[in-house]
Amino acid sequence: MTDTSAYIKIDNVSRHYGPVKALHNLSIDIAKHEFIAILGPSGSGKSTLLRLIAGLDRPSEGRIFFKGQDVTALPPHKRGIGMVFQEFLLFPHRTVRENLAFPLRMTQETPAKIKDRLDWAEGILSLNGLMDRYPNQLSGGQQQRVALGRGLVTNPTLLLLDEPLANLDRELRQEMEVEIRRYQKQLGIPFIYVTHNQEEALSMSDRVAVINKGKLEALGERQEIYDHPNTPFVARFVGRATRFDGVSDGTTVNIPEHGYTFSPSAPVAAGRVSVFVKNERFALGASGTPGIACKVIDVVLRGPFVEFILEAANKARIIAVQPKRPDMHAIGAEIALTWDANLAHIFPAEA
Amino acid sequence: MSEPNAAARKRVFLYIPTTFLVLFFVLPLVALVVLSFWQTANYKIVRDWTTLNYVTLATESAYIIFFLRSLLMAILVSVFLVVVAWPIAFFIVRFGGRYKLIFSLLLAVPFLSGEVLRLIALQGMLGPTGLINGALMRLGAAPLRFIMYSNSATFIAFVYLYLPMTVTTIYLSLLNFDLRLASAASACGAGRLRVFSEVIWPLNLSGTMIGFLLSFIPTLSASLAPRFLGGPNGTLYGMSMAQQFGESGTWALGAAMGVVLVLFSIAALVILSLGVNLRRTGFTGMER
Repeated sequence: MTDTSAYIKIDNVSRHYGPVKALHNLSIDIAKHEFIAILGPSGSGKSTLLRLIAGLDRPSEGRIFFKGQDVTALPPHKRGIGMVFQEFLLFPHRTVRENLAFPLRMTQETPAKIKDRLDWAEGILSLNGLMDRYPNQLSGGQQQRVALGRGLVTNPTLLLLDEPLANLDRELRQEMEVEIRRYQKQLGIPFIYVTHNQEEALSMSDRVAVINKGKLEALGERQEIYDHPNTPFVARFVGRATRFDGVSDGTTVNIPEHGYTFSPSAPVAAGRVSVFVKNERFALGASGTPGIACKVIDVVLRGPFVEFILEAANKARIIAVQPKRPDMHAIGAEIALTWDANLAHIFPAEA
Repeated sequence: MSEPNAAARKRVFLYIPTTFLVLFFVLPLVALVVLSFWQTANYKIVRDWTTLNYVTLATESAYIIFFLRSLLMAILVSVFLVVVAWPIAFFIVRFGGRYKLIFSLLLAVPFLSGEVLRLIALQGMLGPTGLINGALMRLGAAPLRFIMYSNSATFIAFVYLYLPMTVTTIYLSLLNFDLRLASAASACGAGRLRVFSEVIWPLNLSGTMIGFLLSFIPTLSASLAPRFLGGPNGTLYGMSMAQQFGESGTWALGAAMGVVLVLFSIAALVILSLGVNLRRTGFTGMER
C-alpha cells in the first residue's frame, strides 16, 4: 500500500511521448502550507509535470493523490485546482469581472457567493476600478493579478503557477514575487511554482525541486539546495557557479589548468573531479599571494554587487561577484583568486 | 522631411482601391439601380421612370415563391455548412500537425475545375441513372427520388460548392485562436462543452460569421446550381433573374431582382454585424 497521507502526493509518475521520456519515475510529497518551486531548464519536463498535476495531461505510469484521493484519472475541472499561466491567458472577450467569475460559474456557485468572492478578489488583489475593463486595457502587472485572482477565487486545493512572471519586467517581477509569497502564506494552500528562473525559485519557495531531463535531480529546502547541491547539475544550475576540472589524490585537489591546489575539508575519492565554486564565494587576494593569478579585465556594477570579469594566465574567463566597496579592484589590476575550500562542491568527473 | 511624402503615399494607397471599387462596383451598381426603374418592351429598353418592376416582384406569387425558396435555401445551406465545417476545421487545426497546410490546400482542389463542370459531375452522381441511384438499382433497391432534380439536389450542390469556403474561413479563424485559452478554461473548471460554448465558439464567432456569409450570399443569388439540378420545382431567385437577362429579355425586371438581392445581402451583413459585439469575440483592434 502506498502511503497517501501527504496533502499532495506525486507517486512515481512517468510521462512518455512515444520513445521520448518527458518525465521519469518522479515522486514528490507536498505539504499543505508549502510553497514549492519546480526548477529546471526548458525541456526538462517541468511543464509536463505541471500539466499532469493539473489534469491537462495524463501520466503514462504512476499516480497522483490530492488529500489522499486518487485524482490520476480526473479531468482538470474535477480536481479543484487553480492555475496561472505564463501568458496569463485571460479570456480576451470577457471583462475582468467576468474573467474572475468564470471559475465560480463553472462550479455553479450562487450569485451571492460569486459576488462575495469577487469582492474578496478585488480587495486582496487591489483591482479596484479595473473590474469592468477588458484584459487588453490592462497593464502586464494588472493582467498578472487578474490571472492570480482567477486561479484563487474558487478556494482551490492548490494553485499551480506556470512561469507567471516571465512576461513582466524586472522591477514588477520582484514586486510580484513578494506579493505571491504573501498570498500563499495568507491562504495556506500549496503553491506549485514552475520556473526556469532560479532567482524566482529561491526568492519565493520553501522547497525547491530541481528537474533535469525528466528526472528529479534534487528536492530540498532552498537554502540546502543552494549551499549543498547533491549533483553536478544542481551545483551548476542553482546559483551562478564556475566549474574547474581537477584531479584528487584523496586529500588535496589540484586544478592543472591553473596550477592551483587546495585541500577540501572532507576527503574526496581519488581521481578526476569537477569542482564548482559559486561566483560570490571567490576571494580576491593581493597579487603574489597563493591562488590563481588573474587580471581584472572588466568590472560590472550590479547595484550592491560587483562582478569582476577575470582572465587567468591561460586566457580562461572567470566571474567573481563581490559586495560593492569603495576600494575595489580597478580594471587591469592583478589579483590572486582563491576560495574557501569548505565551500567548493566537488563531484567525481562526469564521463 | 518625410511627413508630406508619407501622407502622399498613404493617399495613393487609398486612391487605388477606391478607384477600383468605384469603377467596377459602384458604377455597375448604379447602372443596375437605374435600369431597374426603367422598362423593357420587345427586347428594347424604354427609358420611362417607373416602379412597375418592383410592384411585379412584390405581388406576383411566382417571384415571391422563388424569393422565399432562395432565402430558405440560403439559410439552410449556410447553417448546415457552419455545423459541418466547424468540426472539420477544428480537427485540421487541432490534429493536423505539420500536415495542416496540406489539408487546407486540399480543400481548394475542387476550385481547380469550373463551377459548371462540378455541377455536371454532381448531375452524374445524383441523376436518375447516376452513380448513386444506378448502384442502388443494380442492387435491386429503389432509387432515391429526392436527390433527382429536386431542391434537395440543389441543396447538396450548394453544400458541395461552398464547403471549402466555410471550412477555410473557420480554419483561418481557429488557426489564429490560442488553443491554450481552452486549457485555461479547462483549468478554471469548465467541462468540454463549456470550454467550447464559453471560449472557443465566441472567440471564433467573427470568422464563423464570415464563413456563413460567404455561403449565404452566393446561395441567395445562385443561378447555375438550380438550373442544373433543381428540376421543375427548383427555380430559385437568381436563376429566374438570369432568365430575365437571357431568354425572356426583360432586363429591367432582372435588374430590379438584382437590386433586391443586393439589398438582402446587405441586410444579412448588417444584421449579423450588429448582432455581434466585436469586443465579445476577442477583437482587440479597437481604441488603438
